Amino acid sequence: MTIRHLIKLAGRRTRRPSYSLTSLHPLSTAVATAPSPSLPSPPPPTAMVYDRLAESVKQKIKKLEDPDPRFLQHNSPHPTLTSHTEILSAPATRVTTLPNGLRIATESTLASKTATVGVYIDAGSRFESEESNGTAHFLEHMIFKGTERRNARELEEEIENMGGHLNAYTSREQTTYYAKVMDKDVPQALDILSDILQNSRFDERRIIRERDVILREMEEVEGQTEEVIFDHLHATAFQYTPLGRTILGPAENIKTIGKEHLRNYISTHYTAPRMVVAASGAVKHEDIVEEVKKLFTKLSTDPTTASELVAKEPAIFTGSEIRMLDDDIPLAQFAVAFEGASWTDPDSIALMVMQSMLGSWNKSSGGGKHMGSELAQRVGINEIAESMMAFNTNYKDTGLFGVYAIAKPDCVDDLAFAIMHEVTKLCYRVSEEDVIRARNQLKSSLMLHIDGTSPVAEDIGRQLLTYGRRIPYAELFARIDSVDVSTIKRVANRFIFDKDVAITAVGPVQGLPDYNWFRRRTYWLRY
Amino acid sequence: MYTSAAFRLRALKGRTDYRRLARCMSTSAVASSSSAGGLLGWLTGGQSSSGTPLDFPLKDVTLPPPLPDYVEPGKTRITTLPNGLKIASETSASPTASIGLYVDSGSIYETPASFGVTHLLERMAFKSTTNRSHLRLVREVEAIGGNVTASGSREHMSYTYDALKTYVPQMVELLIDSVRNPAFLDWEVNEQLKKVSAEIEECSKNPQHLLLEAIHSSGYSGPYANALLASESSVNRLNSTVLEEFVAENYTASRMVLAASGVDHDKLLEYVEPLVSDLPNVSRPLEPKPIYTGGDFRRQGDSGITHFALAFELPGGWIKEKDAISMTVLQMLMGGGGSFSAGGPGKGMYSRLYLRVLNEHPQIQSFSAFNSIFNHSGLFGIQATTGSDFAVNAIDIAIKEFIAVATPGQVDSKQLDRAKQSTKSAILMNLESRMVASEDIGKQILTYGERKPVEHFLKAVDDVTAQDIANTAQKLLSSPLTMASYGDVLHLPSYDAVSSRFHSK
Repeated sequence: MTIRHLIKLAGRRTRRPSYSLTSLHPLSTAVATAPSPSLPSPPPPTAMVYDRLAESVKQKIKKLEDPDPRFLQHNSPHPTLTSHTEILSAPATRVTTLPNGLRIATESTLASKTATVGVYIDAGSRFESEESNGTAHFLEHMIFKGTERRNARELEEEIENMGGHLNAYTSREQTTYYAKVMDKDVPQALDILSDILQNSRFDERRIIRERDVILREMEEVEGQTEEVIFDHLHATAFQYTPLGRTILGPAENIKTIGKEHLRNYISTHYTAPRMVVAASGAVKHEDIVEEVKKLFTKLSTDPTTASELVAKEPAIFTGSEIRMLDDDIPLAQFAVAFEGASWTDPDSIALMVMQSMLGSWNKSSGGGKHMGSELAQRVGINEIAESMMAFNTNYKDTGLFGVYAIAKPDCVDDLAFAIMHEVTKLCYRVSEEDVIRARNQLKSSLMLHIDGTSPVAEDIGRQLLTYGRRIPYAELFARIDSVDVSTIKRVANRFIFDKDVAITAVGPVQGLPDYNWFRRRTYWLRY
Repeated sequence: MYTSAAFRLRALKGRTDYRRLARCMSTSAVASSSSAGGLLGWLTGGQSSSGTPLDFPLKDVTLPPPLPDYVEPGKTRITTLPNGLKIASETSASPTASIGLYVDSGSIYETPASFGVTHLLERMAFKSTTNRSHLRLVREVEAIGGNVTASGSREHMSYTYDALKTYVPQMVELLIDSVRNPAFLDWEVNEQLKKVSAEIEECSKNPQHLLLEAIHSSGYSGPYANALLASESSVNRLNSTVLEEFVAENYTASRMVLAASGVDHDKLLEYVEPLVSDLPNVSRPLEPKPIYTGGDFRRQGDSGITHFALAFELPGGWIKEKDAISMTVLQMLMGGGGSFSAGGPGKGMYSRLYLRVLNEHPQIQSFSAFNSIFNHSGLFGIQATTGSDFAVNAIDIAIKEFIAVATPGQVDSKQLDRAKQSTKSAILMNLESRMVASEDIGKQILTYGERKPVEHFLKAVDDVTAQDIANTAQKLLSSPLTMASYGDVLHLPSYDAVSSRFHSK
């Protein structure tokens, strides 16, 4: 009875609040004084499952309230500038240039039992013509297929018998051949490298067989969307210039490339002044120089440098886009890029720091929504991408700087906004903490990458071709540390502010805003 | 000293070339940047003249003196604390360090109530601890630009941290805190459970992974049959309480090794000891024994293609070092791989399975030998992918290959030498990497209680004879067969039919 009364009164109270004061007072006293045994006692605080759950969560959170100072002595979430001078010594990089222009560079770690020797060549697909596009890559395949002295089988068996590895890479501006072997096999590895580079036979039958392999490789590359995106990005950003062509070349070219093309390419591009023999690990500089002098004698000494060729046919960046709508693919992929810096541009380091500031993110990365990069935070918190990655590619006279992302079709517009907002923000609002963090991350990732003899040889070879010298770690760190907030803003203004963009998109990309939308977001209308 | 005068000249010439190039390349940019500077310089952009181009050395940089070409390789030093925790390290010349905390725990220690916990622990690594939130932890790692990873296997959990050597104290502190004091907050656990489910789904689509798991789960009975990945049903049972109990039981001081590559031992001790010395000394429970029974696993999948694996056991594992090494050489000897794969010479193109199988039968897409060696047991087998109409023949071929290596005189010395040489160079080339080095220290200490020098293993490889290979193969074939298949499996011969082929002779 009392309860019904109470409900009635309470109901009236809410409906007519003006009465509440008068009616409430007598009621509450009545409840308090009424000794009614029929009322159930309030349940214990742990009776209900949600109470117990809340309690256990509270218990758990209580554990967090009392951190142990022992574990909080050294780390700080705030990045600081730390001196690394003591750890940055490395064995000297010795460079010798032979009379024919061939450079030999080594870094010795004699305690090691293995070594990498490689030939790094200032040549790649950008030095081809429309008709010969694909030759550099074709050559990379054919060069393992037999020389005057060893046929393909003997060559392979020789490497396998010493437990070594022989491999090659072709990119737009560089070609690499390297061997990773045990210390005692270094002379033999050099012999093999010099043999394949100077005396390859290019048997017609082999060429025909290799065509099919390359066409099959092409199919595989076309299946990898990331490769497709970046090929198209070059094709549109550098349209009508050699840098826009693909490395593999079109299928028609692969079907027509023959012995003459290959020989021609070797004699014009595999010239001594454009080559670096780099070695690291269990190698002695003098020994390598002696061996190379004896072995690399038949190289062309044509003095034309790659830079001269580049100057003849420079890469020109064109703001443009390629979209390939395909609703059968579940995820949309796209890349947005600005023209970046060349290898030697003093601002290329700042662009590297900017790339590090934008960062990268993917669903399974441990950082989740807590990463320092605001772009990564936006992507992680709003779940608008499957993965995202800032990139920064350098070439001899230009570069590409931008963001590549994969997303569900209904997120691409939000993602495009997040990317453009964060990239353009670099021109306006940059926090010092973010810059220091990005610098520290860049320094670490450069050093962590150099893990083993092959990355060292690769680093030597690439730097000699692009910078003409090997930048000491300490200088690299000094250059990175000289990038501050004002540098970032200045460089962002140079490369991003109101600049054209190149866009490529593949998959279900109807949701991706149009070109002018992107172009408009390269500047903000404020201040 | 080594730079000849010719190079200097060349370099100078090169530079002038670059300069000229730069000038004609950026005519428009030059026009705008020459007018830059002044008050609104930032607006017009392009003040690149302020910096030194990268092909010129930067002035005012004090370069540290170069290291000598020969730096004495650091010996591995090991310290055992009173509570049983071991700390091991070796120095290196590189500017980076890799520190790992390795725990003698893994899926073999799981019970039916905690199936899948190893997988979840791997995902829960480096999340909130009782001392630092996940946010703070992520930012601390980013502040020094480090790299943290965790991985779980059947017998080991490993947590590693890679960064510049300068940051050793930070690395040690964070690594130990995340392994010792995980908070296992419910919302973080739930978030990771979702990712675990996604991973399970991903892996169920990968035939190679599926078969390798099936070989373990049907070949062994008992703890070694526990799946490495959680299953859908176990995901529902996992929560923070299960995690806490499993960690409390298994992450004890005597079962942990802190191993570092590129760190001075005394310095490491100074930072590690205060953080772990208060862990109680708990005697470890008995290590689960592997029980091998052999078995059959079949799952119907996409038609048209068949994946299968045949495997046998060699008791002993790493503890019986000679057998383990022979088995590793045997794996190199048989080799194999995909019929179409990238990479130049050196990937084992002259191994037996390439020469005798892949080069002869274009119908076979991949055919390779694998092994999986534990502390007290090891599996060795052949895994293959082929069009279904050829699957029966492919099984015949696999049987023939097994029997061939077990027949004395079938392996010629040339093949064996090649396999031994490849094994040795693979060991040495892998150890070039600091991450592999740190892992090697940690896992060797967990298995052997010491770190054997690499020369010891190289010698063991050298000592392997053709007779050893045949003996090892015979021992393998005398164990019961484990068979696993996926894809179009209806026409495959029965387990008994395949098994009898090995034991009838």
